[in-house]
Amino acid sequence: MSSLGERQAALVAALTSGAPVPPGFDDRLVGIARVALLRKRAGEVARQWPGLAAAFGTRWLAEWSAWAASRPTQGSLRDGWDLARELAARDALPRAAGAELAAREATMRYDGRSAPRPRRLPAMGTAAGSVAVQAGGRVRILRRG
Amino acid sequence: MTTGAGPTDHAAGKPAGRTNDGPPGRTAGGPAPASYGVGIGWRPEISGFVTGLPGLRFAEVVAESVHAHGDLPLGLTQLRERGVAVVPHGVKLSLGGAEPVDPARVTHLATVAQRLGAPMVSEHIAFVRAGGVEAGHLLPVPRSREAVDAVVANVRRTQAELDVPIALEPIAALFDWPGDELDEGAFLTEILERTDALLLLDVANVYANAVNRGTDPAALFDRVPLERIAYCHVAGGSAHDGVYHDTHTDAVPPEVLKLVAELCARHRPPALMLERDGDYPPAGELRAELDAIAAASGYPAVT
Repeated sequence: MSSLGERQAALVAALTSGAPVPPGFDDRLVGIARVALLRKRAGEVARQWPGLAAAFGTRWLAEWSAWAASRPTQGSLRDGWDLARELAARDALPRAAGAELAAREATMRYDGRSAPRPRRLPAMGTAAGSVAVQAGGRVRILRRG
Repeated sequence: MTTGAGPTDHAAGKPAGRTNDGPPGRTAGGPAPASYGVGIGWRPEISGFVTGLPGLRFAEVVAESVHAHGDLPLGLTQLRERGVAVVPHGVKLSLGGAEPVDPARVTHLATVAQRLGAPMVSEHIAFVRAGGVEAGHLLPVPRSREAVDAVVANVRRTQAELDVPIALEPIAALFDWPGDELDEGAFLTEILERTDALLLLDVANVYANAVNRGTDPAALFDRVPLERIAYCHVAGGSAHDGVYHDTHTDAVPPEVLKLVAELCARHRPPALMLERDGDYPPAGELRAELDAIAAASGYPAVT
């Protein structure tokens, strides 16, 4: 039998990364837990990224779940940021969500791999037709998409 | 391990002037929990509501949401100035993980407890990450000897850093591990006895587990040391997919309140608190939920 750590890792992979449910578990119940987890994360990301969630309206949970089902959480700030950037890169970010992403890009530096950090210097952010500028920590939306 | 941001007062000897009508069987290492009555989980979204509760003497805050340095949130400062006990409740230590707890997380929990002058801290019997991946949720540990050893080792590592007792909370699990060696009562009792930890019993978790396993919720009360309960969570949930979900974002169902009454008839815990984590209802509904917990437990209303 494999170690406790290995068995825990296999369960986490099934719940967060789309890996198969480890043998012996009730497939249906683990599946329900997986979906409940996605729903909980959807709510947490919606709190960090209200503009993004609102832009999708009633489709938010489905949109989020399709993206997050194979991506373990990096925290709701980064999760929402990664999703918004990915959508923007393929011109699929709703214009109503552009100002929020543009403002974040202008205020924080995020390399996609580690925790975002506040920018010290003035910066501009653009997304889905929106433009935001930041100076001295204050952000202004110049144009909304 | 010390930190620069020391609090101005510590837990020892506090809170003064409180009655002590049901000390759990602790011997040393901190004051026995006083009797606090009905409490509530402090959250930034309902800070004004919580600080406005005239009779409140007990609150809890998610430990990871409090910074180790810098100003405390105003609401928490106000509660402390009023003498309300504020207990840091950790959610990311992963005490049930196979690997040792992260020392930085333990230090943070201990520091927050000092800053709040907390009479105790609490965490879950659960794991939240494995193989370097965050689960994003509390997951059940197998009820095996190997897992008991892992939990006990991590609780002891944590206790070594703390100035105050730790209370351990069994979680609501939507599924069980295959091949469990112990039933829940034996599993919990062994962990508590080997660590000398207190018990944070979530009555809604007891209800959820029993409903989803098709067992009698109150049966667990006969199988765990009720005198070790430091406090109780009371929370809401909802049923869908044929399963009861412990959401903390719905109203407390009458069945959970009935279970509170049943528990208090056997042994009334020193505190019972409403745990609400989102979809906050109007103040009147929150007040009604607190009053319902007071009525079910026989403690005075705090509203």
